[in-house]
Amino acid sequence: MKKLVLQGFVLLVLFVGVWLGLSQINWMKLFKINTVIEEVPEKLGEMYWKFFQEHQVEVLDSTIVQPIDSLIKHICTSNGIDPTKIKLHILSVNEINAFSLPDRHLVIYTGLLNATKTEDQLCGVISHEIAHMERNHVMKKLIREIGLSTLLSSTTGGYNGEFILESAKILTSTAYDREWENEADLKAVQYLQNAHINVKGLSQILEVIAASDSDPSHSLTWLSSHPDTWERIRLIQKLGNGKNKNLTPILTDITWNKMKSSLNE
Amino acid sequence: MNDFKEFKEYELEGASNSYLMSVVFLTFALPLPLINLIATFVFYHANKKNSYFIKWHSIQALLSQASLFIINTMLFVWAVLLLFKVLTINNYFVSLGINVLLFNAWDFISTIYSAIKTRKGIHVKWFFYGLLTDKICSK
Repeated sequence: MKKLVLQGFVLLVLFVGVWLGLSQINWMKLFKINTVIEEVPEKLGEMYWKFFQEHQVEVLDSTIVQPIDSLIKHICTSNGIDPTKIKLHILSVNEINAFSLPDRHLVIYTGLLNATKTEDQLCGVISHEIAHMERNHVMKKLIREIGLSTLLSSTTGGYNGEFILESAKILTSTAYDREWENEADLKAVQYLQNAHINVKGLSQILEVIAASDSDPSHSLTWLSSHPDTWERIRLIQKLGNGKNKNLTPILTDITWNKMKSSLNE
Repeated sequence: MNDFKEFKEYELEGASNSYLMSVVFLTFALPLPLINLIATFVFYHANKKNSYFIKWHSIQALLSQASLFIINTMLFVWAVLLLFKVLTINNYFVSLGINVLLFNAWDFISTIYSAIKTRKGIHVKWFFYGLLTDKICSK
């Protein structure tokens, strides 16, 4: 019995010893692992954005892009997030939708910009999407829905337009899991409070979407497919209650109105 | 060694097969540790009332697969946690991966070696696993 225990111990020490010994070598540097990890979302982001760019019209009007860019910068800097890493794209589509692509591409449809009545509401949507980016929900969702091996293959150019079209639908037309949506909501509320933006904006835009959801004439996607929208609105209202202090507008009324009128043009 | 003096042909074949069961799925490009473990367990279960020689070697093969399953699962769980960004990739993970690969390779070579030797009627007793099998396997 003693011999058995001793041999078992030797085997265990051998395993741990080899492991610790090997860990003294800097494999991360040797295999350039960090570079490879960063490249996958980067390539996927590029691939999906290229697809949207080819199939939809991008809005480049500075009276529209710049104010939204200012909102993103304000939210990010108030929360210690690097705003330069977020790539904003506005697409001329009537659908009420905004979504994130891998590598922090934030796509907002003009339909959503038209639906927002105040900058707080727009900031609510932006904060929610930034929360998805920060929690890495975009990549997690793609891995879950498509599979890692398929995604990796797609970055090497092994897939055609059909594949990109189908997988892009996952990013644009379906909501995240309830757990992830709640997580993004909580994080968004935190971001808004840190940026001194009224949290009510997020619940208001959700209300607009939930109310319009029953109207088939509206083309909308942002969160509307989620069954618990009203429950989430109540939670956001509860979280924001009494905490909207030192609210500071980011854009001037002139800038906001100019953006809105440019959208109508 | 003294326990095994004379063997019949079916015993040599059975003992040798107990090792081959753990690598047979590799030939189908299915290096799944759970499948290999199940295969060796099924083989042991089917032969537990067979001769002592077959039973002994099927237990040794099963035990080695069980420990391989544990270390492979460690790596697999860590890899899943990496994918979901619960953990970040670091030197310890890569080292564990290489270590697990080395142990798998060592197990694979030992398994093939044991399959050949037992087929010839030579009793192969692995370090630690041999003693553990002695304790578990009853005549």
